[in-house]
Amino acid sequence: MTRTQLLCGSLLALSLSCGTSAPTANGGAPEHSLEPALRRLSTAELDVTAQSLLGNGAALAAALPPDARQSDYSRNVAQSVDSLLLGQLFDATRSATEALDLSQAQFPSCAGTALAADRECAAATVTLLARAAFRRPPSALEVEQLLDLFTLGAESADFESGVALVVRGLLGSPKFLYATTLGTGEPGPNRLSNDELGSELSLLISGQPPDEPLLLAASRGELSSGSERERQALRLLQLPQSRDLYRRFVQEWLGLIGLNGLAKSSQVVSDFPTLRAAMVSETSQFVDDVFSHQAGSVAALLAGNYSIVPDALAGFYGIQPTAPGARVSLSGLGRAGILQQASFLATFAHESESAPVLRGKAVLTRLLCLDFPKPTDLGLDIVFPAADPNATTRERFARHAQDAACKGCHATLDGVGFLFENFDAAGHLRTTESGRAIDTSGSIQLDGQLLTLADSAALSSALANSEQVRQCAARQVVRFAAGKTDVLVEQAFVHSLEGKSVERRTTFLGLFLEFVKSDWFAWRKPQ
Amino acid sequence: MIRRSSLPISRRAALTALGAGAALSVLFPRVRPLRAAPTPAKYFIGVYMPHGMAREFWVPKPGFQIAFEGSSLAPFDDAATFGRSFRDQIVALEGLDLTAGLRSATVGHDASRVILTGSGTNGQNASIDQFLAVEQGLGNETPLSSLVLGVGSAEPALQWCISYAKGGTALPKIIDPLATFDHAFGQFLRDPDPLAVARAAREQRLGKSLLDYWTADLAELRTRAPQAERDKLDQHATALRELEKRVIGQAVSCAVPARPDATQFPAVGSYQGGEPYFDLISNLQIDLMVQALACGVTHVSTLFLADLSRTHFDAGLPEDVHTDVAHRYASAGRSGSGGEPTSQAQLARQNHYTYSKIARILQRLAEASLLEQTVLVAISDMGDPAKHSSRQVPTLLAGGWGGALRGGRHIDLGAEGTPSNRLLVSIQQAFGVESDSYGQSVDPSILSGTLSLT
Repeated sequence: MTRTQLLCGSLLALSLSCGTSAPTANGGAPEHSLEPALRRLSTAELDVTAQSLLGNGAALAAALPPDARQSDYSRNVAQSVDSLLLGQLFDATRSATEALDLSQAQFPSCAGTALAADRECAAATVTLLARAAFRRPPSALEVEQLLDLFTLGAESADFESGVALVVRGLLGSPKFLYATTLGTGEPGPNRLSNDELGSELSLLISGQPPDEPLLLAASRGELSSGSERERQALRLLQLPQSRDLYRRFVQEWLGLIGLNGLAKSSQVVSDFPTLRAAMVSETSQFVDDVFSHQAGSVAALLAGNYSIVPDALAGFYGIQPTAPGARVSLSGLGRAGILQQASFLATFAHESESAPVLRGKAVLTRLLCLDFPKPTDLGLDIVFPAADPNATTRERFARHAQDAACKGCHATLDGVGFLFENFDAAGHLRTTESGRAIDTSGSIQLDGQLLTLADSAALSSALANSEQVRQCAARQVVRFAAGKTDVLVEQAFVHSLEGKSVERRTTFLGLFLEFVKSDWFAWRKPQ
Repeated sequence: MIRRSSLPISRRAALTALGAGAALSVLFPRVRPLRAAPTPAKYFIGVYMPHGMAREFWVPKPGFQIAFEGSSLAPFDDAATFGRSFRDQIVALEGLDLTAGLRSATVGHDASRVILTGSGTNGQNASIDQFLAVEQGLGNETPLSSLVLGVGSAEPALQWCISYAKGGTALPKIIDPLATFDHAFGQFLRDPDPLAVARAAREQRLGKSLLDYWTADLAELRTRAPQAERDKLDQHATALRELEKRVIGQAVSCAVPARPDATQFPAVGSYQGGEPYFDLISNLQIDLMVQALACGVTHVSTLFLADLSRTHFDAGLPEDVHTDVAHRYASAGRSGSGGEPTSQAQLARQNHYTYSKIARILQRLAEASLLEQTVLVAISDMGDPAKHSSRQVPTLLAGGWGGALRGGRHIDLGAEGTPSNRLLVSIQQAFGVESDSYGQSVDPSILSGTLSLT
C-alpha cells in the first residue's frame, strides 16, 4: 500500500468540519492576532524549493549552516540571512546549476532544445520557475528583471546558462528566502494577502511551495474563506511530500532532534552511532504510521502500544526482527508509545546514566506546556549527586525531595522522571541498577488530579487521555505555525476548539486543519 | 570606521533600532573624556572556554607565578612549547559575573550568550565582536567583516554561540577547517590558466548582476517590512555587502596559506565522530584565524572551543569530561580549604588544555607581529561548573590592546562580583569607541563603568 493511499484513509475521519472558526470582531480580525513577520525559510524548506527548481535530487541544506531554533522549532521567525549563510548559498547554487537538465518536468517542454536567443521560451521558463520560488505568480516587471538575468547568463553561452543564472538569482532572492506574513498593508484590520495565504498554507501543511490548484485559488481570492483553506489543506495532506514535515514537527516538538548531538558512554552501549540511526528510523517510521493511519492521533503517538522497529534495534529491545515496516507490539516490554522509544529515552539522559530531571522536564514542558525556572534563576546552586556504585539513580537524587529549596520544583519534575527509571542512559530496559532493584513509581498532576503511577507506561496511558495534553498539543501547533510563542493566540485557539469533533481536537492533522481554517491563520496585527 | 571624536550610537538611532515596544531598558552612552589607549587596538579575538575553572589551580601564586605544578595558566609561561613566554602579555581577571544573564534567566550553559553581548536572551544588541566589525566599521575595509569559528558544534543555539548579530540573532560558526579556509582564503586563489581567468571574469560579472538583483529585491521588501523586522533586513544587507566584497575581489597582503589536508580529519562534528580530531581541528582553526588577521582578510574573529570529552587526548581524564569532571568538581572556595582535590586537579587539566590553545593563538599573533594591536579575551560561561554558576567566571585577557592593557597581573575584583559589561565597555574603548556602557538589561545600573586595566 502506498503512503498516499494510507493518508487518504487517515483523512476520511477528518473530512470537512462544520461550524465557524473563532468568534471574530473588528472586520474579521480576531481579538488577539500574531505580529506581522518576515520568516526566513528553514534549511529544510529551502531544500524543498531548490529541488523543485533544480530537480535531480539537489540538496542545499548540507552546504548551509544549521538552523537556529526558537520555541524548539526550526520553522521560526528568528532565522536570519547572515554572511556565512549567504556566502555558502551563493557557492552551493553555483555548483548546483553547473549542469542543469532542462528536459526535467519543472521546465517547460521548449527548454530542452531552445537556443539562447529564444526569448519566448525564456519568458515561459522564468515565469514557471519564479512561481515556485516566490510561491506566487511573478509580476510582469519581475519577469522582465529575470529575463535580464537570463540574457546575461546566456550571453556568449547557451540557453541552459541563462536558465542557470535565473535559478541562482531566484534561490538567493529575498522574495524566495523570506515567507512574509505582513498582510495587505491597508489601513484597519490586516488580513494576509491572497499570495501570502497561499504560500503560508502550503508551507505549513505540506512543507512545499504552493501547487497550481492552490495558486489558482489564491489568485481568485478564495483563500480568504476558512472553509476553502480547509478544503485545500485536506487536498495537500494527500500529497506524499507532507510526510517529512510532520516527522520534523514531532521530532522538534519532543526535542528528539537533539539525539544527533549526543553521545553515550562506551560502558553503556558499544556502538551508539549505529544504534542512534536505528532509533531515529524507528521514530520516523512510527510517526509516519500514526499520521498516515490515525491522522497524527496524540493518543496513538503516546500509547499506541506498537512500534515499527528496525532490525538494528530489535536486539536492543529484546525482540525478534520483523518484516520491514511491520507493526510490532511492545506493550509487554514496558514500551507504550513514543516516550518509551529509545530515541526519547536516550535524548533525555546523560552519557552514562539516566536523567530523571531531564525526562520529567521533557514531559512536563513539551506535553503539558508547563514552565520551570532553572535553579540558578532562583539563586540556587546546582549540586549534582555524587557517583555512588552502591546506589540507584533514584536514591542518589533523594536530596531533591529533602531540600526545601529544591523540592518545590523537583517533587514535580522527579516524580515524573522516576517513572522512566527502568530505562538506562541509552533507553535499554533494566530491572536493577548497582545491584539494587529499580523503583519506577512516581506521580504527576494531570487535569487537576494528582495521579500515583507504577511506571512510564502508565504515565503514557494517562497522558493519552488527558485534556491538558490535548490543549498543549494545540498550543504546539500554533507555535509551529507562528514560528514563535504567542500565549494569547495559543489560549484563544485552544478555547475555540471547544465543541469541535473528537477527530479535530485529538489529532495533530485535525489541529493543523482547524488552525489554517481559523482567523488566527489569516489575520495579523496592523503594522 | 571608528571615529574617536564622535559618539558611536546616537540616542535616536538606538531608540529606532530597539523599536517602541522594546521591553528592555537601555543605558545610553554619555560623552566623557576618555582614558583611551595611545593607539586604538586593531584586532579583536574572543574565545569561549568550556567548563569554568578550578580556582585552586587557576589563581597565580604571589609575584604572578603561573608555572607552578598543575597550574592552569602554565601554557602562558612555557617557552619550550610556544616559542616564548607570554606571562607579561596576559591578565588573569577574577571576580566577573555574567550579571546581565543573572538578571534575565540566561544562566548555566545558556550564559554563553551573555559573554560578548552583555545581554540575556531577549537582548537585541550585537556581541562586541559584531558591534566593532559591523556597526563600528572595523570590518568595512576587509574582505570579511569577521570570522566566526568553532570546534565541534555548528549549532547556532544559546549554549553554543558567543557571536550575535544586531537584533539578537546567534551567528553560525564554521567548524570545518576546510570551510574556514574556503571562506577566508578561497576567493584569493587564482588559477593562471587563461581559460580559468576568463571563467573567473565571467563569474565576477554574473556575480555582480546577482548582487544587484538581490539588493533591489531586499530594498523593495524593506519598504513593506515592519519596524520590528528591520534588524533582520539590516543583517541581510550586511551579508550582501560582504558577498559583494568577495565577488569584486580584494587583494590580500600576504601569501595564501595551504589548504588543510582533509584526510587528517575525516569527521568534524561533536558526537559525529569528530572528537579524536578536535585537537588538530583546534590548531588548524587557530592558525587559519591568525593568518586571516595577518593577511588582512578580517580584523575580528571569535572561536568557540570544545572540551576534551571523547577526544582521548588526555588519558588522565575520564571519557565524559562534562559529566565526570565539570559536574563532579568540588571547589575549595575562596577560603582555599575543603573540596575534593582529585576533582580540582582534573578540571585544572581541562583548563590547562584550553589555555594551551589560547597560548597557541598568542604564539601565532607574535609570529605575525600582531600581538600588541590585538585585544584577546577568553571567558567561560561558568565559574564553578558543578553549580552551573554564572558568577566569578574565569577571564583571561591577552595581547597589547593597543596599549590599554598592562599584562603580567592577576586582578581580583572580589567575591561580590563585578558585571561583565564593564569588560565590554573597556574593550570598546580600547578600539576608540567613546561610550561608557554596553549591553541591555532590565537593570541599567549594570551596563556602565570600566575596568582598570593599565
